[in-house]
Amino acid sequence: MPAPEVHHLFHYPIADHSFSADRQTLAVARESNVDIYQRAGGKFQLKDELKGHDKTVTSVDIAPNSGKIVTCSQDRNAYVWEPSPEGGWKPTLVLLRINRAATFVRWAPSETKFAVGSGARLIPVCYFEEEDNWWVSKHLKKPIRSTITCVSWHPNSVLLAAGSTDGHARVFSSFVKGVDARPEPSAWGERLPFNTVCGEFLNKTAGWVHSVAFSPSGNALAFAAHDSSLTVVYPSAPEQPPRAVVSISMQLLPFMSIVWTKEDEIVAAGYDCEAYRLQGDESGWQLAGSLESKGRPGVQDHREESALNMFRQMDLKGKASADDTKLKTVHQNTINTVRSYEENGGTVSKISTSGVDGRVVVWTL
Amino acid sequence: MSQSLRPYLQCVRSSLTAALSLSNFASQASERHNVPEIEAQSSPEVLLNPLTVSRNENEKVFIEPSINSVRISIKIKQADEIEHILVHKFTRFLTQRAESFFILRRKPIKGYDISFLITNFHTEEMLKHKLVDFIIQFMEEVDKEISEMKLFLNARARFVAESFLTPFD
Amino acid sequence: MATLNWRTINIDALDPDSPANFDLSTLTPDVASASTADVQSLAGQIRQLLRAGDNEGALQGALENPPYGADERGKDIHLATVIEILQSIRQSEMSPILSRIYSAPGGTEALDVLMKYIYKGMAQSNTANTAKTMTPQATGFSQIHARGGGEGGGQAMSVLLSWHEKLVEIAGPGCIVRVMTDRRTV
Repeated sequence: MPAPEVHHLFHYPIADHSFSADRQTLAVARESNVDIYQRAGGKFQLKDELKGHDKTVTSVDIAPNSGKIVTCSQDRNAYVWEPSPEGGWKPTLVLLRINRAATFVRWAPSETKFAVGSGARLIPVCYFEEEDNWWVSKHLKKPIRSTITCVSWHPNSVLLAAGSTDGHARVFSSFVKGVDARPEPSAWGERLPFNTVCGEFLNKTAGWVHSVAFSPSGNALAFAAHDSSLTVVYPSAPEQPPRAVVSISMQLLPFMSIVWTKEDEIVAAGYDCEAYRLQGDESGWQLAGSLESKGRPGVQDHREESALNMFRQMDLKGKASADDTKLKTVHQNTINTVRSYEENGGTVSKISTSGVDGRVVVWTL
Repeated sequence: MSQSLRPYLQCVRSSLTAALSLSNFASQASERHNVPEIEAQSSPEVLLNPLTVSRNENEKVFIEPSINSVRISIKIKQADEIEHILVHKFTRFLTQRAESFFILRRKPIKGYDISFLITNFHTEEMLKHKLVDFIIQFMEEVDKEISEMKLFLNARARFVAESFLTPFD
Repeated sequence: MATLNWRTINIDALDPDSPANFDLSTLTPDVASASTADVQSLAGQIRQLLRAGDNEGALQGALENPPYGADERGKDIHLATVIEILQSIRQSEMSPILSRIYSAPGGTEALDVLMKYIYKGMAQSNTANTAKTMTPQATGFSQIHARGGGEGGGQAMSVLLSWHEKLVEIAGPGCIVRVMTDRRTV
């Protein structure tokens, strides 16, 4: 496994990051701006800043085909940025009609719509109205009871999974007439008018859901919650209880973000500052190890400690080693986002992570 | 160091590490605000069950976690009245200078001597494990400080008493 | 009405749609209510195991059936039972017992329950004994520390603290996180 490619961009938290399809452009959310970085050799150089939001930007997503960037922020707004002919980026305000923070945004695979999670306990599903030359939204409302923390699209661009701080992960239909083609019936549902709830899942330990994701085929849904658990749901048929719900409680701190790498493998990362690989199927899931290679040079060179010092540390502070300012992991603080970086034939071969420490790291699986 | 101090601090350390899993979370109650939820108490679902770690009934730590902030309150050992006065004076001195301590709360919560408020902005700016270290170090230093002050006070009292009782030798 | 202070009315509490009125019971859908008598009879069975010397069986039995739906009294009875079991197990036996429970099916859940009881135990004995803290000493300048006698509950706490330490070694910090998030309290 080659060493991870580490880009330490700045000393601010990165709420979210997104690579363009050719992986030459990187957009990161930094405070109330979005920075656009351009790859130059092995490095990323700051090329542009998207200024427009006046509160913390919470999420950013680049559409792979059209190259449009959508951003959303705690100032309740979302913008769609398009490259303008004279260089730079032209923002279009999106009519979200929400009165609380926007927390998360993702383009649908069809790129004709995007969904925004919000603190107003609803999900605006936004699409472009040609006549008015304007992005308008329809609200997914029931039965959300708290802030939406994350959304994820099914490959058919109609089904939308959302996780919330009310502990539930839900699957909705976001079918918009005139924008979407009628979807093929699947295990999640057959007839799918807007705001159909195709599934609602809660863990017994009821943590806030931090991340949801459909499997590459769309026939399974995984979510990670603040109770340090990962749950995978396999639906059976419309309106039927799911075929299997596999929930594993971890020994680790909670995961913030997950990504499916194949139909039977998930990579998850979070408060442990480390990315983990999990494998399994309907019969059960288990932790398959960390992505960090333990034998990396520079990890083992512990400073020699005197025995006295060691025992004093153990006695006074209840910990084993004295010098631990730097963590042994690549990321030095919580990882906020894990994304697929490169995939071929339905299998993700590289992933990228970004975190509170201002680093973007590309890992080869 | 006393026998049971190490497990006590160890327990505080692991509880704090778990509680300090914070994320940036905008208020659901008021528009365009981002406030520590544990202080605002405006949405019950983003507050978690509080934890108590205690060594005995005079020494305990109360941890109240929420989605974007954690309130940590410490009850410092006070075996007698002198220690009670010393702890009071000492914590008063610190809380009056709370601004320069970042994570110190201006007022301890009821039943405790000193409180800290750690928000997601603190864990973003500072290393999380170092924040935990700071709390642990504070807990053991403050004990030491109080017992030193008490010894000093007693020694001084003894000295004064002796000099009053021995003028006619 | 004239005396009503309008400024102090919490209007959020009056609005059913306000986030302040989130219904926490939606997070605990399947908690069956348990009567105090049920808890008491369970405690009796567990004590029998304990008397027969089967500490591990007693612990397992107590952790498998936590009375989430019981009232305060029932919960206190079960807490007392768990604490009694924990105190009857020797320090050297803690880790082996915990790892056996962990590797059994449903083990992580049992250990989560144990962690809840450890924290509850530490919170509990404080409130019970606060009445006799801080006995003012006549002189105030006493050289003799009020150790031992004054630091009541220290012995019970140190048992819980060493259980906590052993438990974190096996179940990790995830176990503590679940104590915080789980709305089914013990």
